[in-house]
Amino acid sequence: MRKYINYLVLLLLCACVPLASAYAQSGPTAAETVSEKDCGITLSGTVTDHERRSVLIGATVVLEGTPHTSVTDANGHYHFHDLCPGTYKLVVSYLGYTSERLEKFFRAPEVVNFRLHPDALLLRSVEVRAARQREQPTQASSHLSGRELAQTQGQSLAQALERMTGLSSIQTGPSIAKPVIHGMHSNRILVMNNGVRHEAQQWGSEHAPEIDPFVASELTVVKGAAGVRYGADAIGGVILVEPKPLRDSAGTSAVLNLVGVSHNRQGVVSGMVESNPAAVPSLSWRLQGTLKQAGNSKTPDYYLDNTGYREQNFSAAAGWTREKYGVDAYFSRFHTKLGVFSGSHVGNLTDIRNALQRERPEPEADFTYAIGVPYQNVTHDLLKLHAFYRTGPSGKLHLTYARQFNQREEYDAHGDRSRPGLRFEIETHHTEALWEHPLIGNLKGSLGASYQYQFNRFEGRFFVPFYESHTGGLFWIERWEKNQWHLEAGLRYDYRHLQARMYRKDTPQRTGQAGPDNELLTPTHTFQNLSGTLGAIYDFGPHLNLAFNAATAWRSPTTSELYSNGIHHGTGTYEYGNANLGVERAYNFMATLAYVQNKRLNGEISVYRNYIDNYIYQEPDTVPTLTIRGAFLTARQKQANATFTGVDVSASYQLTEHLAFATKASLVRAYNRSADEYLIWIPTDRYENSLRYTLDKLGAQGTFAQNFIQLSGLAVARQRHIPDNYLARDYAMPPASYFLLNAEAGTTLQLGKQQVEIGLIGRNLLNKAYRDYLNRFRYYADEVGRSITLRVSIPLHF
Amino acid sequence: MKLFLKPSLAILFAATVFTTSSCSNDEDPLPENEEELITTLKLTMVPQGGGTTVTASYRDLDGDGGANPVITGAQLAANKTYEVTVQVLDESKSPAEDITAEVQEEGHEHQFFYVPSPGLNLTVTSTDKDSNNLPIGITTRMMTTSSSTGTLQVVLKHQPGLKNATSTINTGETDVEVTFPVQIQ
Repeated sequence: MRKYINYLVLLLLCACVPLASAYAQSGPTAAETVSEKDCGITLSGTVTDHERRSVLIGATVVLEGTPHTSVTDANGHYHFHDLCPGTYKLVVSYLGYTSERLEKFFRAPEVVNFRLHPDALLLRSVEVRAARQREQPTQASSHLSGRELAQTQGQSLAQALERMTGLSSIQTGPSIAKPVIHGMHSNRILVMNNGVRHEAQQWGSEHAPEIDPFVASELTVVKGAAGVRYGADAIGGVILVEPKPLRDSAGTSAVLNLVGVSHNRQGVVSGMVESNPAAVPSLSWRLQGTLKQAGNSKTPDYYLDNTGYREQNFSAAAGWTREKYGVDAYFSRFHTKLGVFSGSHVGNLTDIRNALQRERPEPEADFTYAIGVPYQNVTHDLLKLHAFYRTGPSGKLHLTYARQFNQREEYDAHGDRSRPGLRFEIETHHTEALWEHPLIGNLKGSLGASYQYQFNRFEGRFFVPFYESHTGGLFWIERWEKNQWHLEAGLRYDYRHLQARMYRKDTPQRTGQAGPDNELLTPTHTFQNLSGTLGAIYDFGPHLNLAFNAATAWRSPTTSELYSNGIHHGTGTYEYGNANLGVERAYNFMATLAYVQNKRLNGEISVYRNYIDNYIYQEPDTVPTLTIRGAFLTARQKQANATFTGVDVSASYQLTEHLAFATKASLVRAYNRSADEYLIWIPTDRYENSLRYTLDKLGAQGTFAQNFIQLSGLAVARQRHIPDNYLARDYAMPPASYFLLNAEAGTTLQLGKQQVEIGLIGRNLLNKAYRDYLNRFRYYADEVGRSITLRVSIPLHF
Repeated sequence: MKLFLKPSLAILFAATVFTTSSCSNDEDPLPENEEELITTLKLTMVPQGGGTTVTASYRDLDGDGGANPVITGAQLAANKTYEVTVQVLDESKSPAEDITAEVQEEGHEHQFFYVPSPGLNLTVTSTDKDSNNLPIGITTRMMTTSSSTGTLQVVLKHQPGLKNATSTINTGETDVEVTFPVQIQ
């Protein structure tokens, strides 16, 4: 541990070298940075039709406030030469299209592409940001940003993502939720936090991603195997948590968010302040922090004892950007203390059967913010250092180093309460070099190499051994666009070396006395494999496109799957690892048909099939494990060939100018082809309908703007696609289907010069008592009842 | 500027690669330490009015998993009363840790339950009380009648905030659950 600090210091020193030398070169005054000699900036780009993606010839691009005007040529290109660094307003207009504008501080040559929307389509007061065009991936993907993301404040990351089709969450009581993409979670999906692979104790279904959702300004989910860019393990998909880019125009601003939630009396305060000093235009910084406190959650009929939690998170970022290069640093800490629901304190199988018989969990509880034993104490640190260097007009080289430290302490209900019964510490170092090469004709792409080192240790009772792993990868992705066609191809090679360290288990070794019966075992595993992707988008016309993607990804078994050996608390299971497990490989096929930018009806349908060879899963043994605490279900890791097939549909219909109807449905079927039966613990069919009324201005001087009110109903079916001898694998049959009524409303209040954004969210308004199949605590208690969330967001400009 | 930039970026990259690739940890795993490991449950049965003291025990010295437990059953005399004391121990430590005292101390949230199998002519009565005047079951009186064979299940329940006049063997979390073969002759 301590020796890494030395490395870090060394690294920080190295990172400071370019910074310091750059500073010395450019001189300390801002005046000099905008001197004549630097005025050689070229702004250029392409203007295309948003739907057709065809180029727009003769579109006018104006640099507002300057005499400069450019008209797009036969290729849709525009350009401005010999500009000095500064803030420019780009305004793009073309007959029959809505004008777009972008205000930005430019300090280096930049390519800014615009996609214009045909005029007639601007029905609602959608916020049209002239952002740089996003590459449409050939895989199905969803985004959450702006107000829709803001409406999820106070919820966990997984709950926020449930707004997207094809996503659900696996829960452990009311306070722990993990995202599920197309039926897959934990080790089969990747979470990229600010561009860094989130590395924690992902294998545990009760270990939620240690990320403060307030950090994100955009959440993106790539559905299906996406191993090429992000590395092995992305069999089910990738979640990208992206913070807002640092300010690139001079000024200081801040935002204060306040959230209150009724069912657990949760209070959240989150603030952010960011600045780009006018005197030092190269520098940008941001500070952000969140405090959360919640007490016992309430179901319709009772409180859930010991389900409160507390969270303290902060992050700091700073960047130094110059014409040809830039460096930035980011640090974040996430800390939570969360109680584990008392009703789930079960020992052996008999206890679980007793719990299933009860109508209410024991003990009876009242509301409290106090957190008793058992509880978890989790801290996650992320340090990211990033530098880029422009190689020519459109090429860019990125270098990234990241260090993560995750500590998880589990305090038990028994024994010495001042010490955790189990402590895991996992430390990860990650380095990546990525080169976005300059455009070669219509070909755009990137090449990269990455390396990761990880070390895991524990103290206390055994569950997962010490281990050390080295992972290296090389990848190459290209994208080609012309007329109606977009093609994408990528290839990646990964190598992984893993060494576990543990004492032999079948001998009396818990005394810690090393000896012949207490041999240190150091098994090693080496895995290497290829990932690939091949995709295409074809535009049938301005409103209809079809995307197809075939991808293959793999993952190596995790250390817990290989070597876990012990009782999984709260589940009544004795889990045995299997050191003979091999690589799991997915072949994922997906087609997405999108009907977009229409006046009334818009929609998207996505179908997929994911063949997974050597799918790793837990199979209960017929013989229970006997211990001094009684019998526990024996679960062993096995491999079989499986298939995940599904469909995601979303559609909306504009009924009147103000009223819109939207519908979403997700279905997934997971089948074990080797055993010829369905897999268990797969998300059930979800179907959601909503009616939304929007009104842009209300009140005397439009005091209330962007008003909306929405009513929605969510139907979740009972899981019927299950194996025949279901109760040999689970303690209870899948729970009944349920329907929830939810509502949302929001407004932006103009109080003089100050804006205040207000949101109100009501969940489970009918106060329905229900249980969800993917909640590991469904044996013990109902889900939370009616809950109202009030959130206020106050942006401040200085 | 370029003069400075390229080497320094190269240094940064080299440094990061060096940093991460030179990470190697030779740390040996710590010995496992299960808080409150119970390896052994022992019943000491002293016959009233003379006779041999009988000891029954369940020992699983390496904890859950690993080697099988060693179970020693009880042979009791017919029509006899035994004063019985139960002990729970962690014999993986040296000297063995007696956890019974802790159970006694937290008697208001623990209880031992004794369940003879049907057909075994044995009755069990607790002879101790906790601070709320409820049985704990560390000391019991066992009475045998005619010859028979069967089993005796001993269950220790942890019932924090749950132990009361109506709580049963089905209340709370199981700390110990063992079954002994018993012969009465």
